[in-house]
Amino acid sequence: MLGRLTQGELAIKGRRREQLLFMMDNGIYVVTVLLFIVFVFLAPYFFTPRNLVNILISASLAGIVTAGYTVAILAGQIDTSTQGVLAVATVTTALLFEELGFSLPMTVIFALLAGIAAGLFNGLIVVNGKIVAFVATLATQGVMLAIALFLSGGQTITIAREGLQEAVFIRVFGIPSSVWIMFLCYIVGYVLLTQTKLGAHIYATGADYRASLLSGVPVDRVIRIALVISALTAALTAVLVTARAKQSAMFGLAIAGSVDFVTALTAVLLGGFSLFGGVGRIERNLVAVLFLTILGNGLQLMNVPTGIILIVRGFALVLAVILSVLRARMT
Amino acid sequence: MASDEVILETIDLDKSFGAVHAVRTVSWKVYAGRVNALVGDNGAGKSTLIKLISGALQPNAGGFRVRGQETRIGGPAGAFGLGIAAVYQDLALVENRDVVMNMFLGSELTRGPGQIFLDHKGMLRQAHEVLDDIHARIPNVREMVRNLSGGQRQAVAVGRALIRGGEIIIMDEPTAALGVEQTQEVLQLIDTLRAQGKTIILISHNIQQVFEIADFISVMFHGELIGTRPRDEATEADVVAMIMGKRSP
Repeated sequence: MLGRLTQGELAIKGRRREQLLFMMDNGIYVVTVLLFIVFVFLAPYFFTPRNLVNILISASLAGIVTAGYTVAILAGQIDTSTQGVLAVATVTTALLFEELGFSLPMTVIFALLAGIAAGLFNGLIVVNGKIVAFVATLATQGVMLAIALFLSGGQTITIAREGLQEAVFIRVFGIPSSVWIMFLCYIVGYVLLTQTKLGAHIYATGADYRASLLSGVPVDRVIRIALVISALTAALTAVLVTARAKQSAMFGLAIAGSVDFVTALTAVLLGGFSLFGGVGRIERNLVAVLFLTILGNGLQLMNVPTGIILIVRGFALVLAVILSVLRARMT
Repeated sequence: MASDEVILETIDLDKSFGAVHAVRTVSWKVYAGRVNALVGDNGAGKSTLIKLISGALQPNAGGFRVRGQETRIGGPAGAFGLGIAAVYQDLALVENRDVVMNMFLGSELTRGPGQIFLDHKGMLRQAHEVLDDIHARIPNVREMVRNLSGGQRQAVAVGRALIRGGEIIIMDEPTAALGVEQTQEVLQLIDTLRAQGKTIILISHNIQQVFEIADFISVMFHGELIGTRPRDEATEADVVAMIMGKRSP
């Protein structure tokens, strides 16, 4: 079919398509700014320093998970085990710090190691088992949730010992450290994806596994690393969630449902990513996370019932999926 | 053409897949700086022979002599090391990446500590140089491959082979999916490569095209190499007869 179009026709067709894609990709910036302006006028207390910091804090937790999740998606791996990793890491954090008396740095290190182990486990099943990540990680998530349940004895572990919350939520320039950590994650993610060889291989593997393999890209190693990065950011989030709530959050849902697989997925799709991998820019995801957080926060301040807010968020995901499929058809 | 130098030679190469004897003791000479066409009917063993040369398959018996040296071709990386680069029929390009990243896919230029950072500037410069050398008409090397024409894609895939140090470039049915205009573009590309001293192995179904561009025409039939003719000494009728399995004297 391509052969029948002349060079000129093809160029025009390509240019139109690229223009439409550009609008779909960058629409999220415009929509987020518009939403912000609407809430400034409609939602009481929305545009106050206190609330704006609150938005950033909420966004930071979802944002960190989404950063790693994005890397997995780019490599063509839909990692559905986020909840499982969160559960294992939150229980690890609470157990080590509260019950076993580990120091703060050791607690954080071991919680992150638990995340890395979970990511390696995912990689083992996906790469060695040759199972699609979406299915494989759904299964491994079950194992992780069970491990978390076993370790905690099914109980929420409350943290009475001082030092965790205070240390993790130190304010720098009036903004809590979790927000700075989120920005750091996105800066590292941006550099990794656009400036490094590994980043180029992540994009290529996600965009075309076979072509990458034939070109000598170490595709299996790339997939393993992407899954570890995804699990690592989930574990990092778990530490922050646990510190903030001063207790283990069994299913990682402590922060009003803002840190979960569905939010990460919605943000990734709204950010113009393809579910099939290889397409997207990580900075747009940060904006998409802000969009979702602002949406929830603003509606809450307008006293919209929680049920309605969840329905709106549900529709946001539906819209995101439609956008993603449209995009996939065009490329 | 008696003085032609042989750059690559297969020695009694043999490959079976179970009961299927795909390549039967093939000894084939590939001439340096020439377009060496390999023709034959579907299932004649062309693709298998090519995959053995590009390291994608390992032979059951036989070996290779490259630039006079007997050698093994352990895998695609080993083939690259010997200056042999295959341009696959589907080109193995990544649609959603730009021209530069496709040309350097798997052999990216790097810099910085531990060589982990991409040398974007270096890749851009070298991509321009290589594409200029083969007279490729690609206005913007930051264009996504999905927006390129068939001829432009072929140029990107060949560019990749050259960047990897390809001296012997295998092209598998490069014009099979192309229209008239773009077929001409690819034939010009092959001509340019030959003018620069590259050796081309060209697999094609199209006898007319082979006569237009090739220097040597080799014919396979049922896994055997029936014969090789210099283009000037062959007629289309001869070659067609050979493709049908008739051994000429």
